[in-house]
Amino acid sequence: MRNKFDRQLSQLNSELITMGALCEEAITGAVKYLTDNDEKNKNVCLDADRQIDKKERDIETLCLKLILQQQPVAGDLRIVSAALKMISDMERIGDQASDIVEIAPYIVQKGTLGETHIREMAEATIKMVSESIDSFVKMNLEIASLVIEHDNVVDGLFDKVKQELIKSIEMGHSDAEALLDLLMIAKYFERIGDHAENIAEWVIYSITGEHRKGLEIRGKRNDLPGRG
Amino acid sequence: MNKKIFRSSMFTVFLVLIATIVLIFGILFQFFEKQIQAELSNEAEFLALAVENEGITFFDDFDSKNNRVTLIDKDGSVLYDSVADAGRLDNHAEREEVKDAMKDGKGISIRYSKTLTEKTMNYALRLTNGSILRVSTEQYTVITILMGMLQPIFFIMAAAMILTFMISSRVSRAIIEPINRLDLEAPENNDTYEELTPLLKKIAEQKETIGEQLASARKKQKEFSLITENMSEGFLVIDQDANLLAYNTAALKLLDIAAPSDKSVLLFCRAKEFRDVISDALSGKRAENIMARGECSYSLIANPVFEKESVIGAVVVILDITESEKRDVLRREFTANVSHELKTPLTSISGFAELMKEGDVAAEYVIDFSKSIYDEAQRLITLVNDIIKLSELDGESISFESEPVDLYELLQEVISRLENEAAKRKIAFHLIGDRAVITGVRKILDEMFYNLCDNAIKYNREGGMVDIIVNQTKDEVNVMVRDTGIGIPAEHQSRVFERFYRVDKSHSKKVGGTGLGLAIVKHGAVYHHAKISLESAVDAGTTVTLAFVPYRLSNTTVSFFRSSTTS
Repeated sequence: MRNKFDRQLSQLNSELITMGALCEEAITGAVKYLTDNDEKNKNVCLDADRQIDKKERDIETLCLKLILQQQPVAGDLRIVSAALKMISDMERIGDQASDIVEIAPYIVQKGTLGETHIREMAEATIKMVSESIDSFVKMNLEIASLVIEHDNVVDGLFDKVKQELIKSIEMGHSDAEALLDLLMIAKYFERIGDHAENIAEWVIYSITGEHRKGLEIRGKRNDLPGRG
Repeated sequence: MNKKIFRSSMFTVFLVLIATIVLIFGILFQFFEKQIQAELSNEAEFLALAVENEGITFFDDFDSKNNRVTLIDKDGSVLYDSVADAGRLDNHAEREEVKDAMKDGKGISIRYSKTLTEKTMNYALRLTNGSILRVSTEQYTVITILMGMLQPIFFIMAAAMILTFMISSRVSRAIIEPINRLDLEAPENNDTYEELTPLLKKIAEQKETIGEQLASARKKQKEFSLITENMSEGFLVIDQDANLLAYNTAALKLLDIAAPSDKSVLLFCRAKEFRDVISDALSGKRAENIMARGECSYSLIANPVFEKESVIGAVVVILDITESEKRDVLRREFTANVSHELKTPLTSISGFAELMKEGDVAAEYVIDFSKSIYDEAQRLITLVNDIIKLSELDGESISFESEPVDLYELLQEVISRLENEAAKRKIAFHLIGDRAVITGVRKILDEMFYNLCDNAIKYNREGGMVDIIVNQTKDEVNVMVRDTGIGIPAEHQSRVFERFYRVDKSHSKKVGGTGLGLAIVKHGAVYHHAKISLESAVDAGTTVTLAFVPYRLSNTTVSFFRSSTTS
């Protein structure tokens, strides 16, 4: 019986890592499409998003099965409940990456990306997603805390991009549609960063059983100016 | 053990108890029955005598203490009964004992009460007048007596149980103790029950077998890890659930990760390519893929492991192909450069020739066109010559005559050939140094220095300088060619010695050259075992230093080299 439980737990772990890797693929594909204009990456991203949706359902079923049949307690229960929460964050990352891909064609055509900090933002976001998955894979508190801190960078970059776009509008010689699209993409990146931060928080929760650290930092972050 | 002994001894006690009761009752009851019967018949005979003598009146003052006495008339009606009223009793003629007595003179019968708890023994005797005298005695049956004995029996059983429990636990302890004291490390050295000897022997044998198997397993494990640990390729073995069974340190090093804490293979790497090859392999297909990770690229090869036609795992090999990928890129670049260098002049020639063939060219341009064709053709010839020279240097089978060469003298000659070219761009040559003789091939050395000096002019600025310093130390002859030209950016410095490599990717015709000059220098240096070094700064100039082996020392090495290459 316990043997089966252990097997199911390790299956849950593998599935979560796979789903995380798919998230990385989705966001990397979206960013590559946005910056390098490679049609192939668009499909990579959309394909990853489809797989992420499927994985979410699979993992959800597995978690419920674990809870119903094995009645996990203590650390095991934390892992399962954190998994249930994590997959919804991962699913959102996949969705938002594919949203970026859907908005991107116009900007890609116009090539209006270069003047803003959106490239840096994309890179920072990829790094966050990648590290949040890493923290889960390695069950590493340190990496998880780094991810949570790193969200400030992404938020800062969002503000920067916003300021740049405002300036562009004020100068009056920019393509309005592209500017709006850019703003949305920047917002998506910012949201993805938040989801990555959530994942890191869940990792911390599943290790320590406490939300405190995450809450502390979140409190600090809310004090930052210009956060919408 | 304790339980078993307890159970069996309890069983024995129980059996003995039952057997004893049955035996005692069987024997005693029969004995008592006979006794009672005898008493009964005695009493009956005594009473019969009395009745015969006194008639029925005997009963008037008769007081029966124990037994019931009945006098029955010959027709069966009861005349007297010591217990009940004679008149109310029914006819006894059909009673077994009465019937027997009428017939034989006496009769016996035993009747049980309805509940079987009591039995009545009757003894009937025929009197001389034909009437029957019956004496009955009531007696408890076996069951009643047993019932009466139940309590003591239970007491006995309980006592037996306690005793048995105590004894059995003591006995089992006593039996087990020596067994517990067995030294299983050396099973055959024990002095214990004889009955255990076969078991101990078997244990000893199995111990030996296990020891051998363990040793061989350990040896195999060691061999396996020796082989895998000495592989430079990463090596992973996984089971059908994609859990790690084994991996070598090379795999960790290649992927630059710490040893995974859990058994899932995804902790190793979760890249799509990696997941794909693993899922392919676990579905029974051999899979290969190339995975890029940071600056490096890896080749992944996964093979399924079958047992009875079902996949039980997979073996994954990870190869670092960063170098070969890089070489591949270089080769592609090289091919593109060669075709470009060869094609450009030919296209021009063909174009000019085509125009002239059509007759569209005005007479005054024909000369210009011809000059262009001539120039391009010259360029092609130079290029082809350079390629031939390089392939001569490459192909070690072509032998050159080695001789002592004075580099100072050789450089003077090279400079004199290039003086015109230098003068055109107002570039001044300075040759500093003294005679320095090495052993080498004059033709190749000439080619090398010509190319070096030629580059120093080509990539110089107007009115620049070229310093050539020949310097002989104890075990080296250094030749330094220093210009004040445009220099080479740091990122290109490591590649300028490659064939057809150009810092200026536009292959500008203005400067000319084939892109092979420095390649020739490098190959010549390799041929002469000379060390080559390059220092350069953009817009400040370039210094190329060649360090040769001097004549005296080089004698043996060069001859050795020559003999080894020509053989």
